[in-house]
Amino acid sequence: MTRIVEVPTQFDDRTFDQFARAYSAEGSGRVLFDAHAAQWASPFGLLGLLTAGQSIVEQGGERPLLTLPTDRDVTHYWARAGFVRQAELYFEIHGKAPRSAGSGESNVLLEVTPVRGADDVHEVVHHIQERAAAILTHELGLDPAATMGFGMALSEACQNIVEHAGTGGWVAVQTYSWRRRLGRRVVVIAVCDAGVGFRRSLEATQAKRFGDRWSDAAALEAALIQGVSRFRDPGRGQGLAGIRRYLNRWTGKLAVRSGTARMAMIPPWDDDLPLAERLPPFPGTQVLMIVPAGTEQQ
Amino acid sequence: MTRIDLVDVLRSTVSAMYGDLVTRRTGQAVRGGVEALLRANGEDDVAILDFGTVRLLDMSCADEIIGKLLLSQGPARHVMLVGVHAAHEDALLPVLERHRLAVAAQDRSGTLKILGILPESAHRIFQALADAGPADPGQVAERLSVSPEEVRTALDLLCKQGVVLERDGHYQALRCA
Repeated sequence: MTRIVEVPTQFDDRTFDQFARAYSAEGSGRVLFDAHAAQWASPFGLLGLLTAGQSIVEQGGERPLLTLPTDRDVTHYWARAGFVRQAELYFEIHGKAPRSAGSGESNVLLEVTPVRGADDVHEVVHHIQERAAAILTHELGLDPAATMGFGMALSEACQNIVEHAGTGGWVAVQTYSWRRRLGRRVVVIAVCDAGVGFRRSLEATQAKRFGDRWSDAAALEAALIQGVSRFRDPGRGQGLAGIRRYLNRWTGKLAVRSGTARMAMIPPWDDDLPLAERLPPFPGTQVLMIVPAGTEQQ
Repeated sequence: MTRIDLVDVLRSTVSAMYGDLVTRRTGQAVRGGVEALLRANGEDDVAILDFGTVRLLDMSCADEIIGKLLLSQGPARHVMLVGVHAAHEDALLPVLERHRLAVAAQDRSGTLKILGILPESAHRIFQALADAGPADPGQVAERLSVSPEEVRTALDLLCKQGVVLERDGHYQALRCA
């Protein structure tokens, strides 16, 4: 018996809960992730799909199946973005997977890259500084100071996986032209893992303080708003606050989804909800950062 | 005065391939390297940490290197940062605020200032000492047209934070030789 989880045709943060609902639905048997009708996926969507596969495998489930998009251009794009290579580790792939080395696409600033330890974070930051700094500054019109902060925010987000997830995760960075939504180009960063999530990470030190209110949303509030960490070291818990400061300065967006809750810092150009609770459960933590090009410093 | 190039320490303690001060693990290793160099130069009471060739610094690494180093060295040794640029400051300021610390820093144009939480009057008095050289509290009070009491309070705070040195009743801003 196979349980089918449909991948949204347009798969990004706005359709993610539709995917999470299908993923968390009751059912048994081997899971088939059906992406045959997919037309487009953002880094957040691609990493969400990897996270779902990773979670099943790490929980001892049968290696899930993945049907690649039938649209050849879409599959090639997924390959160029580095998704297919990583997906082969967790899925039995059906459909023609193009053998694509590296990315020739200028909008892929960082391919889907695994993050397991501090060395991976160094590699990610090095890559962004070496290969993407010029694109961020000259093509996207980001202030050079914003480019430096971009590396710092990326580093802190990746370190959350290393320090807290209890398993590996991924990062990917792409640029897009959001003509209709924003009238500008944007840089989109996704950092996802299938780890323990904020609630479990903070439970031992924070649950008592929140009492009956303790939940995925409360855990996100503790980490994002209050800057608490599971470590007693007073220097800890600054990473997310630093990311918030950086994105606020450059009119960017930060959204963090963990378990059944999602908290977002909303810039004026976006209409997302600051807090969403009772969402379909999904393993680990998913971080989305969006930096618009050429914005004035606040 | 011991001058330490942080990228040299990074390459000798973590990897010769790296140029960015990122991650806690890296910060712990670099702090260990810095402390070893300070122990080897035991008689020097001023440590100059050179950020001149540091490309990127994140907050986790800043906390491990600068935050914990300042806390562990205490008043026994004065620490100063040189070659700091604006993006480094973005990582350093939250760390210093979190630990309620301050440090003297010189940017790449040679401008000397204090990073960290201190009253505005302390910043002004530090700047006066940095610009005009050593002075006693009365001279500072006269220069800035503030009360000697306010100057003494600020100087006490600046000395406690290790950003001003007192010798024979005269105070001077910590700076590179």
